[in-house]
Amino acid sequence: MGRFAQSKMAMACAVFGSGALLLTGCGAGDGSDGDAVTIDYLHRLPDGEGMTPVADIVAKWNADHPDIQVEATKFDGDASELALKLETDVNAGTGPCLAQVGYGEVPDLYVKGLLQDVRSEADRYKDNYSAGAYSLMNVGNTVVGLPQDTGPLVYYYNETAFEQLGVEVPTTMDELSEIAATAAAQEQYAAAFTPDEAQYWLSGQAAAAGDNWFTPNGEEWIVDTGGAGTQVVASFWQELIDDDEVLVQDRWGDGFTQALTDGSLIGHVGAAWEAGFLLDPLDGTDAEGQWRVAQLPAFGETGMTGPDGGSGVAVMKDCEYTEEAMAFNDWFNTQVDDLATQGLVVAATGAPETPEKMTRQFGGQDVFEEMNIANAALSPDFVYVPGFASLSAMNSTAAEAGDGSVPVSDIFDTARSTSVEALDNLGIAVADS
Amino acid sequence: MPLTLEAKNKSPRRSVRSGRKGLTGFLFLLPFLVLFVVVFLIPIIVSIRSALFAQVASGGGLYGGGELVDQFVGLDNLVAAATNGAFWKGMGRVALFGLVQIPLMIGSGLFLALLLDSFIVRRVAFFRLAFFLPYAVPGVIAAMMWAYLYTPQLSPFLEYLPDGTNFMAPNVIILSMANMTTWTFTGYNMLIFLAALQAIPRELYEAAAMDGATGFQVATRIKIPLMRGAALLAILLSIIGTVQLFNEPVIMQSVNQWMGNDYTPMMLAYNSLMGQVTPSGSGPASAISLLMAIIAGALAAIYAFAQRQKGE
Repeated sequence: MGRFAQSKMAMACAVFGSGALLLTGCGAGDGSDGDAVTIDYLHRLPDGEGMTPVADIVAKWNADHPDIQVEATKFDGDASELALKLETDVNAGTGPCLAQVGYGEVPDLYVKGLLQDVRSEADRYKDNYSAGAYSLMNVGNTVVGLPQDTGPLVYYYNETAFEQLGVEVPTTMDELSEIAATAAAQEQYAAAFTPDEAQYWLSGQAAAAGDNWFTPNGEEWIVDTGGAGTQVVASFWQELIDDDEVLVQDRWGDGFTQALTDGSLIGHVGAAWEAGFLLDPLDGTDAEGQWRVAQLPAFGETGMTGPDGGSGVAVMKDCEYTEEAMAFNDWFNTQVDDLATQGLVVAATGAPETPEKMTRQFGGQDVFEEMNIANAALSPDFVYVPGFASLSAMNSTAAEAGDGSVPVSDIFDTARSTSVEALDNLGIAVADS
Repeated sequence: MPLTLEAKNKSPRRSVRSGRKGLTGFLFLLPFLVLFVVVFLIPIIVSIRSALFAQVASGGGLYGGGELVDQFVGLDNLVAAATNGAFWKGMGRVALFGLVQIPLMIGSGLFLALLLDSFIVRRVAFFRLAFFLPYAVPGVIAAMMWAYLYTPQLSPFLEYLPDGTNFMAPNVIILSMANMTTWTFTGYNMLIFLAALQAIPRELYEAAAMDGATGFQVATRIKIPLMRGAALLAILLSIIGTVQLFNEPVIMQSVNQWMGNDYTPMMLAYNSLMGQVTPSGSGPASAISLLMAIIAGALAAIYAFAQRQKGE
């Protein structure tokens, strides 16, 4: 078998090897026993139409590295189902070597004992990534992988509609409030309140406003979701809801899409990764090319934005070939142009080329240049806690806040009580507050 | 294979034959036994076992030492589930759902079956299939289809209804879901009743006709009383299905976030496993499932017992 692999590799070298490729791929690989290692990589990237498929990107690596063969598998279910699959598979000893994990899930998966500490390997590649994103793959002093994409909050707006209203792009939330009032008089909305995204969307805004909900204090966590920044966020949305100046619709519901297509929604505080598909419903309509993206209006003096989603590629517990896996991990996540076609705002430094589709939808704007600025302004301090997934309870409170039956601040009370309860149930200490 | 062996060896040696017979019988039973153990017994044992454990961090510190251990907690998970307000609220919702939906569905199923069994309808086969068809649509697809019909921005018929009609309003949504389930399962229950009707001896109808009974009297005095067993089965299945209500509320929840992760007990169990609800993990999730099984079993037993009492 060893011989077969070797001869296959020789053939691969003969076929693909030329110049530098021959040196790196074949020279290094023909070492001790010559067996190729296989790295399984489980991802949930969209692989949609017009994107460079993950399989194609991986094929490039495989051609150059006959000794480190990567098998990428796409997971088609829900993100939370992937986390459960990883848990079951790793515990059964059949887990992959590398897997895509959301930043909010990282502490949880680590507590469950599914991730490996790869600090020594990761440190070598640290400089390739934005500091804020790199820190999201850290769990305390442990590094569990490399970041892939980030979700800084940004502001999307319809430039044409703004011109018609005679308003400028808002740079502060106060300005956005005024614009929302102006727009509401014309039965338009300069922002949407999206209960189904509340968990990451509002925690990201709290981070942008300068708050950290979860602070390590020795051996225990301090949970505080009522800080000054969070209060600013709460009162901002409360006012808009009270005055009927905001579109209250689930982000993934049809009401949102309808408001977008009928032109009543002309602004949206959203994650950077939404740029990949937000404007799809407008393709071929008059509104095509009218929208732009801008930095998140400031919630204060922080000059920051907050994380709303995004994910990295983590090394699973049972991965044997950590070094090889991390080499691929770094290579893959620095293929910025290919990854950008997947609609990702890559965590690796170096601005990718804005894909043709985005250029068209955003009226020629260099979307990724804007995203890069947002990326750099990500709050570096905001961390997630184990059990953060259960904060999806915020979403149902947000739905009630959206129809006015409870105050917006209740959402953050839910966040606090749920996270304290989740930590307690996991047996992790929480400081009394 | 054992069958052909048996057929060839018609030897008089009885002891060997009966031994072989026992083996043959066992071999026939084997596929069932294996499946029964693998897909029924083992999962039940595993979930009972896992209900007795909780997943807690072992190492202390901010991240629990990066290892979660199964800790034996006895009945703690079950007690936590039984004292969980969200669980009982969910139970209340499915109970309300069942009280409205089960009589409606069983009644319509019975009515359709009687209609098809009478001589009023022609082309029975066509209607039988047509009424049954909704059941053949996968539950999630059906729920999505209804969600589309109910969604205010998409609904093709909402504009013809009085202003302010909202199928997704908090006090209406249970009825909207009851409608979905009724649509799906009425045909299924109709089939149960039709099968029971086939088993009624035709002579009874002849005798009734000679006594001057009308078609209506035949239905109410002969057919319905003789379908008691089938009705019991249909209602028991419905009670169990209602306690486990899942597809409809999950799809509705995806477009109505206010419903939360714990609208029905089954959603609570699922989301506990997914980590969307705390306490999470397989222990608490299994405990909720067990409690649901106990409740469904108890309800079914009470109903069956009450029926038998009435019959005697």
